[in-house]
Amino acid sequence: MTSSLNSIFPFRFLIIAVTALSLGACATAPDSSDPEAVAEFDQVNDPAEPTMRAIFAFNRTLDTVVLKPAASVYKDVVPDKGRAAVHNFLNNLRTPVIFFNNVMQGDFEDALMTLMRFLINSTVGILGFDDVAADLGMEFRNEDFGQTLAVWNMPDGPYIMLPVFGPSNPRDAIGRVVDFIIDPLNIWAGNVDNDWAMPTRTGVDAVDFRALHFDTIADLEKSSLDFYATVRTLYRQRRNDEIHNGNVDPAMSVPSIGELLDDGPAVEEISQAD
Amino acid sequence: MKRRSLIKAFAPLLVCLLIALPLGAAQAGTFEDEATIFVKNLAKKAIGELTNKSAPREKRIALFRNFFTTHFAVKGIGKWILGRHWKKATPDERAEYLRLFEDLMVISYVDRFAAYTGEPLLVIKTLRQNDTNATVYAEIEQPGGAPTVHVDWRVARKGTMYKIVDVIVEGTSMSSTLRSDFGSTIRRRGGKVSGLIDALRKKTKGLRSSSE
Repeated sequence: MTSSLNSIFPFRFLIIAVTALSLGACATAPDSSDPEAVAEFDQVNDPAEPTMRAIFAFNRTLDTVVLKPAASVYKDVVPDKGRAAVHNFLNNLRTPVIFFNNVMQGDFEDALMTLMRFLINSTVGILGFDDVAADLGMEFRNEDFGQTLAVWNMPDGPYIMLPVFGPSNPRDAIGRVVDFIIDPLNIWAGNVDNDWAMPTRTGVDAVDFRALHFDTIADLEKSSLDFYATVRTLYRQRRNDEIHNGNVDPAMSVPSIGELLDDGPAVEEISQAD
Repeated sequence: MKRRSLIKAFAPLLVCLLIALPLGAAQAGTFEDEATIFVKNLAKKAIGELTNKSAPREKRIALFRNFFTTHFAVKGIGKWILGRHWKKATPDERAEYLRLFEDLMVISYVDRFAAYTGEPLLVIKTLRQNDTNATVYAEIEQPGGAPTVHVDWRVARKGTMYKIVDVIVEGTSMSSTLRSDFGSTIRRRGGKVSGLIDALRKKTKGLRSSSE
C-alpha cells in the first residue's frame, strides 16, 4: 500500500499544493459597503484565487508540454473504434469504485446495474473493451466518493486547483483519496509490489480524457475571455450534474433568463423579430 | 325584425368563430408541445442551413448570424450575463457590449456548427417551469462510438414567439458559463464594463483573423 502510494508523484504535488494554499496570496475581498459585490465574491467562493491561478498556469504548461501532445498523437494513431474500446476498458476497470459508491449512496438499484454491466462487459464485451451493456440500455454512469459525500450533504467548500489533477474542492479532494484507497486494483498493486500498473492506468486515463475532450477544450481556450473562470464554473456545473445523476432541476441550476423577456432590450428584440 | 337582421349580419362571424375555435385549439397544443416542435425545427434548420462546409466562411458567418439572432434571445441572454453590471453600463456601453457579445457567439460557434455532421437530435421529454419557460431535454448521438451527449434547450415564449435562452450540454449551461467568464473579466478589470468591452473587442478581432 505505502509503496504504491509513494510511487506516484502526484501525492507530492498535493503536499506542495496544501503548503502553497497556506502560504499563498488570498483574493482581495470586495468593499463590504457593496453588498452585491460581496454576494458575488461569496458565490465565486475562490478565496485563494491568485494562488490557484498560478497552479492553473503550471497545469496548462504541463498540458502543453506533455498531455496535449500525447493526446494528439493518440488521436492520430489510434482510430475512433480503438479509442472507444480503450475508453470502455477504463470504465469497466472503475467498476469496484463505482459499486462501492452506489452502495454508500444507498442506491442499490444502480449498484445492481453496475454489477450487471461488469458481468456482461467483462464476458460478452471481451474484458470490457466493448460496452455491450450500454447497447442493452444500461448506460455507464460514473460515481465517486466526492459525489457520495455530496449525497451525504457535505458542502463542497472553496474552489481549489490541484497541481496535475486540476480543478477540485476539499470534498472532491477527499473523495479522490478515498476512491484511491478502496480501489482493489491499487490494493492489489500494493500487495504484490507492482509499481507500474497504477501510474500506467492514471496516465492512460488522462490521455483518454484529454483526447475525448480535445476539440471542446480547444474551443473553450479559444473563445473564453478568462479561461480560468470558465474552467471553474464548468467544473462546478459538471460536478453538480454528476451528483444529481443528470437530473438537475433547470429552475435550480440556471436562473430564469426567460423572465428577462418581459423587460429591457429583450422586449425590443421580441417585437422586432418575425 | 331588427333582431333577426342582426343575427344575419353576424352569422358569418359566428360561423367563422365556431370553425376557428376548435381548429385553433388543435393547432396550438400545449406549451410543452410547441416548445418541442420549436426545438425540433431548429435542429432541422441548423442541419439544412449551417452545415455546408463548402460555402465561404463569410457566407457561413452571415447565415449563422441570421440563424442565431432569429432563434436565440441574444439581447436577453447578453443582458442576463452582465447581471448587476448592466445597471452600471451607459447606453453606449450596453449597445457596444451587445454587439460584441453577438459577434463573439457568431464567430466562435460558426465553425462548430460546420463540423456538425447532422447526427439526429432525439427529444426525450419537455418540462415547463412556468408560463414563459420550458426545457426540452434531448440527446445527440456522437460519431465514432463516442458517448451520447445530453443537450437541454431552455425555451422562452412571449405570445406566439419562441426563443432559446440557454443551451445546457451535459449539465453545463452556456449562459451561466459566459456569466462567470464575463463577470470574472469585469472583476479583474477594476469592476468596469468598459474593461469587458476592451477584452471582447480584442477577442473577437483575434478570432476573426485566426480562423480565416
